[in-house]
This record gives sequence, C-alpha cells and structure tokens, in this order.
Amino acid sequence: MSLQFLLRRLLGMVPLLLGISLLLFVIIHLAPGGPLDAYVDNPSVTKEALEQIKVAYGLDQPLPVQYLKWVKSMAQGVWGYSIRSGRPVTQEIAERLPATLLLGGTSLALSMALALPIGVVTAALRRTAWDHVLTFLSFAGISIPVFWLALMMQLLFAISLGWLPVAGYETIGAGGLTDRLAHLAMPAVVLSLATVAAWSRYLRASMVDALGQDYVRTAYAKGHSATGVLIKHALRNALLPVVTVVSMEMAGLISGAVITETVFAWPGIGRLFVESMDGRDYPVLMGLMMMGSAALVFSNLAADIVYALIDPRIRYD
Amino acid sequence: MLALAAAALAEPPADAAPPEPIRGGTLTVGLPYDIDTLNVYSTAELGDVEAAVVEGLLVPDEHARYVPALATEVPTPQNGGIQLTGGGTAMRVVYHLRPGVKWHDGVAFTSADVKFTWETVRDPRFLAESKDGSQDVTSIDTPDDLTVVVNYRAISPAFASTLFTFGILPRHLLEGHDLNHDVYNQKPVGTGPFKVSEFRRGQYVVLDRNPFYWRRDERGGSLPYIDRVIFKIIPSSNTLGALIRAGEVLLAPRIPYMLAKQLQGARNIELVSGPSLGWIHLDFGLRPESRLRDPVLRRAIAQAVNRAALVKAAGGYPQPIGSPIVPLLEALHDASPEASAPAYDPDAANQALDAAGYRRGADGYRSKDGVSLNFWITTRSGEIDGEIGEQIIMAELKAIGIRVSADNKTGIAYREARYHGDFDLLYTRWVTAADPVYSVFYGSHGPLNGQGYASAQLDAALERMETSIEPAPRRDAASEVQRILAHDLPAVPLLNMVSIAAKTRRLKNFTINPTNMTDFAGIARWYLEPPAGSVP
Amino acid sequence: MTDSQPALQPLRPPRALLLRRLVQHRGARASLILLLLLATLVTVVPMISPYEYDEEDLNLIGQPSQPERAHWFGTDELGQDALTRVLYGGRISLAVGLASALVATLLGTAVGALAGFFGGLIDGVLMRFTDVVLSIPLLPLVLLLSGLFRPGLPLLVMSIGGLTWMGTARVVRSQFLSLRELEFVDAARALGAGNGRLIVRHILPNAAAPIIVSATLAVGSSIMLESALSFLGFGVQPPTPTWGNLLKTASPWIGAAPWLALPPGLLIFATVLSVNFLGDGLREALEAEQQ
Repeated sequence: MSLQFLLRRLLGMVPLLLGISLLLFVIIHLAPGGPLDAYVDNPSVTKEALEQIKVAYGLDQPLPVQYLKWVKSMAQGVWGYSIRSGRPVTQEIAERLPATLLLGGTSLALSMALALPIGVVTAALRRTAWDHVLTFLSFAGISIPVFWLALMMQLLFAISLGWLPVAGYETIGAGGLTDRLAHLAMPAVVLSLATVAAWSRYLRASMVDALGQDYVRTAYAKGHSATGVLIKHALRNALLPVVTVVSMEMAGLISGAVITETVFAWPGIGRLFVESMDGRDYPVLMGLMMMGSAALVFSNLAADIVYALIDPRIRYD
Repeated sequence: MLALAAAALAEPPADAAPPEPIRGGTLTVGLPYDIDTLNVYSTAELGDVEAAVVEGLLVPDEHARYVPALATEVPTPQNGGIQLTGGGTAMRVVYHLRPGVKWHDGVAFTSADVKFTWETVRDPRFLAESKDGSQDVTSIDTPDDLTVVVNYRAISPAFASTLFTFGILPRHLLEGHDLNHDVYNQKPVGTGPFKVSEFRRGQYVVLDRNPFYWRRDERGGSLPYIDRVIFKIIPSSNTLGALIRAGEVLLAPRIPYMLAKQLQGARNIELVSGPSLGWIHLDFGLRPESRLRDPVLRRAIAQAVNRAALVKAAGGYPQPIGSPIVPLLEALHDASPEASAPAYDPDAANQALDAAGYRRGADGYRSKDGVSLNFWITTRSGEIDGEIGEQIIMAELKAIGIRVSADNKTGIAYREARYHGDFDLLYTRWVTAADPVYSVFYGSHGPLNGQGYASAQLDAALERMETSIEPAPRRDAASEVQRILAHDLPAVPLLNMVSIAAKTRRLKNFTINPTNMTDFAGIARWYLEPPAGSVP
Repeated sequence: MTDSQPALQPLRPPRALLLRRLVQHRGARASLILLLLLATLVTVVPMISPYEYDEEDLNLIGQPSQPERAHWFGTDELGQDALTRVLYGGRISLAVGLASALVATLLGTAVGALAGFFGGLIDGVLMRFTDVVLSIPLLPLVLLLSGLFRPGLPLLVMSIGGLTWMGTARVVRSQFLSLRELEFVDAARALGAGNGRLIVRHILPNAAAPIIVSATLAVGSSIMLESALSFLGFGVQPPTPTWGNLLKTASPWIGAAPWLALPPGLLIFATVLSVNFLGDGLREALEAEQQ
C-alpha cells in the first residue's frame, strides 16, 4: 500500500469535512431563534449592549461570512466560546469527553468480548440448537428498545435488588475502582447489547463465508484440526469486514449515547448535545457535530488502512 | 392557605420543649435541572445552591414576608428606613448593615460591597437574567461601613424583590473583573452558611460548612448544623425518584406532582407541601389576525375548563384559582366573583358559541364563516405536569367543539414562542417574587407580555398598584386589576401551584419557601438525625 | 417481449420456490404470522374497541389504574384505555415504519442505481454526498431536525427516511457496478433499449434481492428510531399514541405501575424482532440461489 494512496485519501478528507461542516451549518441555522433570545426581552439589557454582544460573537455578520470565519478558526484550533456558559467550547467538550470515552470504551470492549465467541460458535455450529438459541438472542438484542431496557434494569438491579447504584458517575467523596465499576455496569451493558447482537451476526456471516472458501477446505484436507482451521484461517479472514464495522462504532460512541446518559445521569457528550440544542448554543453544537463527523471519517480511513495491512491481496487503485 | 403554611412548618406544639438539634452529617439534594452557572443574577434557573452560599440584605421567609439578613432590620416608612423625597415622587431606602460579618475568605463585609453590587449588576456589559430594580436606583451613598443609602428615581414598593435580595457580590474579589467570565460563576464567594468546595459541571456541587457564619441559633450556638451539602444534578425525573427511594438522595425540592404521587407511602420518605407564589394559566395569543380576539370565544373556553380534573390529574395537590394574584398574597388577593375568571360551565359555553354563530359541523367541530376553530396549544416539552394538564384541556375543548393540537417546544424555541406571542394557546406557569409586579405580564409594554394584550385601563390600575406604599390604596388598585383581567380574559388563571418536597424523615426544621429565593434560604437551621441504629 | 431472452440473463429463482424456502425458515414463518396478526389487529381496532384512543375517564384521572374487566390493560394517568391506545399506537408506529422504509429504499435505490450505472463523475458526486450524510452521527442529526420544525407525521417520515437511505444506496451501487458488465446488458442495448429502460427493466430486477432485504430491515430500524424520537419528546405528540410516546408517558410510572410500560415495549420488541427474522429469512432464501 503506497504512500501515494495514503496521501490521496488524506487530501480527499478535506472536501468531505468541508461538505459536512457546510451541511451542519445550514441545518443548525435553519432553527428559529438564536442564543441571545434570553436577553432580547429583558428591559435591563439595552439595545447597545445586545449589539455589542452580537458583534463579540460575530452574530451580526451575514451567514456566509459567519461560516467562513468559523471554518478558518476551526482550522486554527480555535473553537469559540459557549454562549451559555461563556467558557471555551474545547473546555466544555473536554470536560465531558472522559466520561463518554469511559462508557464507550467499556461497552465496546464488552461487545467485542461477547460478540467474538458468539459469532464463532454460531458459525461453527450452524444449524444446531446452539446456533438457533444464540441467533435468537442476537436478534432479540437488536430489537429491544434502549430506553426500555435501561429503565427495566434500573428497576431490577438498583431499586428492587439494590445491588447497583441507580445512576451517576461515581459516589461523591468515595470513588475507587469498585465504585467506578458499579456505576459503569448498567449503562455499559445497555449500550453494548445492540452492538453485541449486530457484531455477532456480522461475524457469523463472514465466518460462514470464510469457512466455505477453498483455502479452508484445503487446510482441512491437509489434516489440520477443526479448531485450528477455525481460528487460524477462517477467523482471521472473517475479521476483516468486521474491522470496518467496529471502527465505525467506535467513532459513533464519540457522539455519546443520549438516552443511556439521560436515564443513568451519566455526564457525557450526549447530554451536552441535548442541552446545547435547547439553548441554541451554536458554537458547542458545531464543535460536537464536527467532532463526531471527523471521528467517523478518520475511523473509516483507519479501517481501510488496517484492512490493507492485514490482507496484502487488497489493492486500492 | 394559612393552614397549608402551618402544615409546612411541621414544628412540634409550642409547649413541648424543642429537641436539641444534632450537629453534623451530609445532606444529599437532588436537583431536577442542569446548573448553567452559580451566579444568582445570571442563572436562568432558580438559585437553590446560591441560596445556601450567598446572602442579600433581606430575605423572604416561608410566609413570603421579608425578614432581615445582612441588614439589621427591614426598612419601612415607620422606622425611617424608607423616606419620601422629591416632594413625594421619589424615595430613599436606608439599610443598616450587620456588624462583624465576614466573607468566606475572612475579609470583612461592608457597605462598599453593596454599592459595588449595584454598579456591577446594572452594568450593560454584564449579561444577566435578573437585573430588575437596578435601573430604578439613581445613586447610592455609603456614609460609613455599615450604612447604605439607596436613592430611587420613583416610588417602588417592590424594591426588595431582586436587587440586594438575590445576593451581595464581594468587591474585593470582583472589582475590575469581567463578571461574565469570572471564576465566581463556578465558585461564588458569599457570606452564607455554606461555601462552595467543588462544582463538577453536569454532575454535582459540594458545599462545606462555613465555620465563621454570623448567624446564631436561639441558644447562641453556631449555625449551620449540617456539615456538608451535596447537590446532585439529576435531570431525569425517573432517576430522581429511584434515587430518592434508594436513599441516595435525601431531599428533592419542587418535585413534579407525578413524582409526588409515586412517592406517597414510600418508606422513610415524607412529602412536605407548602403554598407557592406560582400559578398555572392558559394564555391566549392575541395577534391581530387571531380568532381568539373574540371575547365570546375566550369566555367560552374559560367556561369549558374543569379545574377539578386538572387538580385530580396533579394528584390533588394544586388549588384552583380564578385570579392571577395568588391567595397567599393576602393583602392583594381578591376572591370575589367579579374578580375571578368564569366558573366551569360547559353548557353555558356551548350555548354562547351557538348563539355567536360558531356552528358544529358533521365531525363535531365548530366553524364560522367557513373557517373552523382549529388551534395549537403549546407548553414546555418535558414537563410532565404541563403535558398532562395540556391533554386534559385539549379534551375539554374538544367537548365544546374546538379542535386543539399539541405543539410543544423546548428550551429557546419555547421562550421564542412565549415572548413573541407565537402561539394560539399557551399552558404555562409563572412564579413571582414576594413582592410581585404584574405589569411585566399584563402591562402593554410588559417584557413578559408575549400575548399582545393591551389595555389602557389596566395599565392605569397597575400603575397605581405598583406605586402605592400604603396598603389600602394598593389593595383597591389590586382589586381593580383583578376585575379588569376577569372581564377581558387575556388569560385564564387555573391553578395555584403547591411546592412539594420529598425528604427523608431524618431531616428536621425543613420548611418550604414559596418565593423564588428557594427553600435553601432557610438551610442554616436544618439538621439531620443520624440513621437509626447508628451512634449519635 | 423480444428483449428478455433467458439465455442471456442471470438466473432468477421463480417466485414459488422463493416463497417455499422462506416458509421453511422457521423464524421467518413465525414472524410472518405474527406480523400479519398484528397488522390485522391494528386495522380493526376502531371497529372493535368500545373506547376512543383519547377518551379520558374523569373518575380515573390521577394515576394509572390496574387491568380489570372494563380495561384489559388498565388505564393511563388520564383514564384512557391502555389496550385501545397501544393498538392505535401500532397503527402509527407500523405506518411510520413502513413509510419511512419506503422513502429510504426509494431514495437509496435511486441514488445507488444512478451512481452504479453511470459511474464516473456522477458516481463520484453521488458517493461523496452519501459519505457526507453518512459521516454525521445519526441520532443527533435526527434530533436536530425534529427539534427545528413543527411536529407532524410527514415531517417525521421524511426525516427518518431521509437519513437512513445511505446503506441501501451503497449496496445498490455495488450491485449495479457488477451487473452492468454482464452480457445481457450489452444484448439489451444492442436491441435498442435506452438507459432508463436498462436500469429499470433489466438491471434493477436482478438487483432486487439485496434491496428487498434492505427494505425489510429498514422497517425495523425505522420503528426503533421513531420510538426513540418519541421517547425523547420529538416525533408524534399526544394524544395521538405511538409505541414510543406510550413508553414515554409510562416511564415515570415504572415503579408504581409497571403494567403500563410492558405492552408498548413488548410490541416494539416483537415487531422489530419479527421484521429482522423475516429479513434474515429472505436473505437466506435469496442467497441459497447464489451458491
């Protein structure tokens, strides 16, 4: 895989990101009302003061000018100030990011840990009872509404049984690993459920595909053990398409899990998004959406690179 | 109302010896909203946390009457605290400040801080929600460290409602700083019973006891009794309920009626209710092209609403009312029929609409001159009580042949609609200060008058009500205001809200504060009994 | 029909065989039955229920009441019959699911077909556009759109459909890319078929398999998305019930009245599950041909 290819892909991302930013900018500004509405009707805030604030935030300029200015400052790493709290957007996001990454990362790890064995087992034992049961469970996992599951789990484990804390990031003043894990348990399980289901289905399909390939049959014929064949050959090749899916999911977690965060009072990006939408806090909204989109775009590229690295047969022209 | 207020006090009978308050403990509070800033003047929410940290010159108590805080007495014309000037057209208020009060960092509190507060709040560069009153002051003199003379440009009976009551800002920390971006917004410094130790955005605020707090209890002992207060931010009502039941939250102020219903009978939890200065009402959008400008239609809608159903849906807690001036404001409330909105009478409503030419079609809905009666009703999204009430009103209006569909909004979109009159029907609530000013809602130039209602007669009555210091003329003007509103019906007053708090039985001396200063204005006297079975 | 010569076309399984294979798949069979049953129930509910969906019983206002003879599933806090509402809710949820899936499939097929058939610049532009929309996180984007405009069913269907077409587009594009190289296309062209005809009457039917599977799965994800939107307060407004907003109003009562949250939750689960199994069965039935 050539450097040339890599460079071309990276360059290709620039127009993509610009396109995304333009689309988002347009959508966000379609919304009626702006962030300074709270002060428009306040008799104590004079017209001059309002104008001053508008100028300070650049809200007095025509929209295309606002857009270009925004692009320029984003490129320079200056993401502006949140209109609601007055603090830099980067600070607002950075504060919530660790919690989101912790939750996302944990649920991702959980998903992978569960999806891998399920996918392999259902592929190897296809059409047996095991396959049917696990397949049914997988489909069930994809079909349960997240909020319903979250509420049911809360009801069961926190209120009825009292095993786990109801919500929150940590017990204030306490902390420590067990406390952290106890708070993480339910939200992580809820988040990972749909992904486990989806990934294990995906993995099964590509394993079945791989197992049907010639080189696998050759390996069997050569006398390799079933497990060996399974793991060494089929799995390695079956993982390739899964790489793409996993990387997209990883990037998607940056956007936060809005519903899970609300039910479990988890202080992450998803809630920040909803609050910023309520308050028409444009700088934060743009920052969040761009971050999410950039994550998806980069993870796409990363997946392609990993793909090409693992399988030398894959060529990009 | 008095009975409710008494119930809220929950104190033992006067002849029993009051139990010795117990010192220590941590109180966890569940707040149902996300804190935007801890600066009481600029926050869009109520200042629960701030009330425990920052103090003002006066503070309204649980009966909505002002009592002194950092001032030694409430200024009145009788004690010379309020003096008429300018030949009776303006006034001057004199405060005597409490000696020996220190800021949390040990620096002494003086009159310079009061003057600084006024200068900062009224500064146009300071972006704030609550600047009321700062424009009415022409100048402030500070003849010595403990005296403040505030000169007003006119007579303002409601002078105590915002400025100086919300809180005094520390001059030695904020002079020369830009308050919009100062660390004060995350860690306010005050003179109150608690100081801010930590504020984690989106999660919690930790307050610790102020050992140098100036207030003492009846025995001369130091206050506050509680060592630490943790405010947890829990925007989801379900989660809050779960946390309360699990004992992870010991106090939840102003919970929705739905949640109160569900917590009834929960172990170790008691519900305390108290009257509130808030009221729920149905506003009419009176834009020039709106059909709701027809007074017959508005009257019929008023008669179609069954307040009893609304009360029932809210668990029986709120009280039905017919006037926007709530009964708790005894000096102003007029309960006579002429001053109240029409009573529930759907038959009369149907008759009136028939007589006015609004004929029912085959689908049961009315129309006149080919235009059908079809309206949008708006309330704030996410407020369960509001959404339930809205549903009931929709059903009741359907019963008299008016089709109504829901168009709920959230956040800024809601404010936009509310303040620009972008609605047909608005089901909403206001909470006022202890000295409410109604011209902001119903005056032709009222900043909160989004409906487009204007009446010269009402403006005149409001003017009289808001510039009379003497109680009798004020009461007469208030009656006239209520009569005009009952006749014009720009809005239908529906329910007087009741403030309900869910708390552990271990928390004592807690009282509901009906004003916008929140229950936490009285936190210094609360104490926690230790959990059963533990060593005191 | 002079331009359909069997020898030059890729093999397509006859419909009867397809149906038989589908029915043999146990999951798909059960799903079909369930879905048909559900569809029937929600269609006849106006005729069989003694209650209106927005009929409030003033005596029961205040909190949900337990299931009993007059109300088999109990009532909600406004005294409205829960069974009636959950069935009416099915009408909307299913309708929105189907309509959104239709919109998404049509859009995706159109974009994918054009991109795959013409290639070159058109392909480049269309795919770039697809990438742009794909790169924006889905739920935040749908929330954003729903929060901006007045609620209404057409808007809802457009939002969901307008943001979930990309997967179908990619699949259809790759199908068209490979199919257009086959001989039958050259043959049809030689016989005078124009581009439009080629796309619609020749290539598209052969690309039908993945499109159908996509469409089926899209119904499931549309139902989920609609219920998530309603749960967060966007989407359809009460008193019109959907399974999503029924869950929303039931969730404060989960501790005190859990029976209220079960039916809508279970129905969403059962419907989406059935749709997924059906799609899976379809895919297997169609793939079996390609072995």
